[in-house]
Amino acid sequence: MAHKILIIDDEDDIREVAALSLETVAGWEVITANTGAQGLARAIEHLPDAILLDVMMPGMDGPTTFNELRKNPVTAHIPVLLLTAKVQSSDQRRFADLGVDAVLFKPFDPLTLSTEIASVLGWK
Amino acid sequence: MDPAPKPVLAAALDQLWTRFLPQIRERVSILKSAARSLAAGCLTDPEQEEAGAAAHKLAGVLGTFNLSHGTDLARQLEVFYSAEGTPDPIFAAQAASLASELHTIVETRG
Repeated sequence: MAHKILIIDDEDDIREVAALSLETVAGWEVITANTGAQGLARAIEHLPDAILLDVMMPGMDGPTTFNELRKNPVTAHIPVLLLTAKVQSSDQRRFADLGVDAVLFKPFDPLTLSTEIASVLGWK
Repeated sequence: MDPAPKPVLAAALDQLWTRFLPQIRERVSILKSAARSLAAGCLTDPEQEEAGAAAHKLAGVLGTFNLSHGTDLARQLEVFYSAEGTPDPIFAAQAASLASELHTIVETRG
């Protein structure tokens, strides 16, 4: 099944590799945003099946963006996966405590990113 | 996974690598410069912060281009420059060596 994914990341290299991966390997539709604010707007406009959200972004960071997504009834139901290069266990606990659906780590493998997303979200 | 996407993905990743190589090189350059400043005893707070951010970004991206050792090296530099306080210049040679190895990894990606 072709899913629709929103990628929110200020780093254009990561954003484009992730988009390429999901489009090429899984055939999913990908929408991108390079700021938290733009991501919120695109989430409301496109209602994606899931959101891949970077943690460290200037301005509205990932956790703040996540809280805004959850506050809005239009986007509150959309699964959110945090994407982070932070590997320290204290960071991992902090992110898990936010209530996101999953935490994925950079660097990801472009060949298996879609499988990993599908697995944590229980998609067939 | 359909076997077809693998070569298609690899070719597209190579194109992205070429496109983003200038900014990856710039991040490595920031790390080399920070190591020189540290050795000279004149690493400023903004330089240290910039080096930590450059290392963090490299750690996140290099592995996606199949350069996992580059991610490991960048992560070491991220921890080094993100620690509280100015790093001890005694570690400048180690920081320079890590940055130099990163440079080689980036420049020799096939």
